Amino acid sequence: MSVTYILETIISGILFGGIYSLLSAGFCLTWGTMKVLNISHAVFAVLGAYMAYWFFVKGSLDPLLSLPLLALLLFFLGGIVYRLIIRPVTKAKDVIMASMVVTFGLAIVIENVMSYFWRPDPRILKPPYTGASFFIGEIAISQGPLFGFVLAILAIGLLYLFLYHTYTGKAVQATWQNPVGAALVGINPERVSLITFGLSIASAGVSGVAMAFIYAFYPSVQMVWTLFVFLVTIVGGVGSILGTAFAGLMIGFITGVSAAFLPFVWVNVILFALLWFILLFKPEGLFGA
Amino acid sequence: MELRRGVILNLEQDKKLVDNRTRVRRLMRTSIVVLIILLFLFPIIRPPLFFLTLFFSVFMYVALTESWNLMGGYTGYVSLGHVTFFSIGAYTTALFMNRFGVSPFATAILGGIFAAGLAGLVGYPVLRLRGAYFVISTLLLAVIMQLIFMNWEFVGSSTGLWFKLLPVSMETNRLIFYEVMLVLATLITLLVRRVEKSKLGAGLIAIREDEDVAKTIGINTPWLKMQAFILGAFFAGCVGGIYGYYMSYIHPDITFNINTSLLILLMAFFGGCHTWTGPLLGAVILSLANQLIVTFIGAEISRILYGLLLVIIIIFMPDGVIEYIRASQFFQKERTS
Repeated sequence: MSVTYILETIISGILFGGIYSLLSAGFCLTWGTMKVLNISHAVFAVLGAYMAYWFFVKGSLDPLLSLPLLALLLFFLGGIVYRLIIRPVTKAKDVIMASMVVTFGLAIVIENVMSYFWRPDPRILKPPYTGASFFIGEIAISQGPLFGFVLAILAIGLLYLFLYHTYTGKAVQATWQNPVGAALVGINPERVSLITFGLSIASAGVSGVAMAFIYAFYPSVQMVWTLFVFLVTIVGGVGSILGTAFAGLMIGFITGVSAAFLPFVWVNVILFALLWFILLFKPEGLFGA
Repeated sequence: MELRRGVILNLEQDKKLVDNRTRVRRLMRTSIVVLIILLFLFPIIRPPLFFLTLFFSVFMYVALTESWNLMGGYTGYVSLGHVTFFSIGAYTTALFMNRFGVSPFATAILGGIFAAGLAGLVGYPVLRLRGAYFVISTLLLAVIMQLIFMNWEFVGSSTGLWFKLLPVSMETNRLIFYEVMLVLATLITLLVRRVEKSKLGAGLIAIREDEDVAKTIGINTPWLKMQAFILGAFFAGCVGGIYGYYMSYIHPDITFNINTSLLILLMAFFGGCHTWTGPLLGAVILSLANQLIVTFIGAEISRILYGLLLVIIIIFMPDGVIEYIRASQFFQKERTS
């Protein structure tokens, strides 16, 4: 086991942690702002990956070019889902529980519709530029993960800019901090929720595309992605986008380190056991408020 | 004078109403007992094997949903880890039978005890969490246990475990399991009903209504939650032991499948998880529907329908079918007249 190998494993761990950061950022946004725990979040990421795949295969449109169109489509889809399914549930007595159950149902429906129409075979997004590797001295970094990572970090940056430097973004933040207070100063909670949900779904789609650069995807992979979203969100705490992003990188680093020294199958056991302990002893998360 | 007559009249009407209600209740109780006896005698007419298999899975889901409801329904702590206790039961039976040759019908209880032990160990830390955090931690419990069993040589890892079959014909085999599961489901349902009417049940419902208030009026909430959690796990372990032997082959992907937890949850929510009748009704309707759809249409479509059902139930009937029927116009009129 050479030093190069260890470094390579750790770096690829971090690269893929970055993508999980983006996936979890949207989840954290809906949980914080709307108090809705959206279990169907990862299924929209898989949907995004499929959309990019079909654009690429049928329309030979490069995934990076189809990305804005895809994000827009998913934003509207998110809006529709909010109107039809999420809004009735937010009037329930126990919003978190009701939203969990309802989005679980939604996740099952979308997953099985996808596997019914598009077969459950694993697919991978392979534009020409992801095949090669990029060298720093001895260390090889394959370009697929690198592109995915850069994409994810850019998207998180955009989300951050939106939240902190636009009027609507500040309204979203205000609702996150104090829903009643925000409503009192004239922020329309319904509109904020609609925009938040759409954004979160769009960001999930983008991270799905980033993920498809690295891993094969198939409809039922959403379960694994959902577990990782929980992992990152709980470690980060439902505090802020940046906390989540940092937690994602940290999880990636831990995955990398343990993958370098342990057989692959035990890496997930370690990660989930870690999450379990964090839940038990610090349920508000490492960076939570 | 007018007023008094009114009161007396009302009283008489009330008495009639109460009489009517007890009559209805007695009728229902008798019909349920008769139904159970009929089900018990059902194999006498030598029905096709399909029906025995179908009813076996219905009874199994009734037993599982009722045992889940102890925790998930009465206290409102929605656990996704129920499938873990179920699988522990199945694995205990398999190991004891393959290594020591003990009869599975005896080790089913042992499986229940192991499951209860695990519930005790896990419950101590996990039951301090509330709401979404509890749900996620039980989900993780299911996932971690599946990963561990997948990679643990002693329990067969990813090749799974086979059972030795009973030395009888296929028909007798199905018949035995049919009767055993029917008895088990009836026992569990009766016990859960008993718990609901007991002091423990009242305490559990108080936890659902408001845990902090329950605590302040002197209810030992951690201990009550622990009791419900362990009892539910014990029942699930027993059911798992029988199920493993029935399937004659167990594998982490099948027994630990998180979808089983979801099905149980869905059945309880569908029927209404505040009383013992809700899960019974939900489990019977949904497992029949599920089996029939899977057999005649296909697994993917059945899961799509399931997901849609879940969404629709939560949006339109947040308290389940039983509550929906009770609150409907028909019963309202009777109550207010």
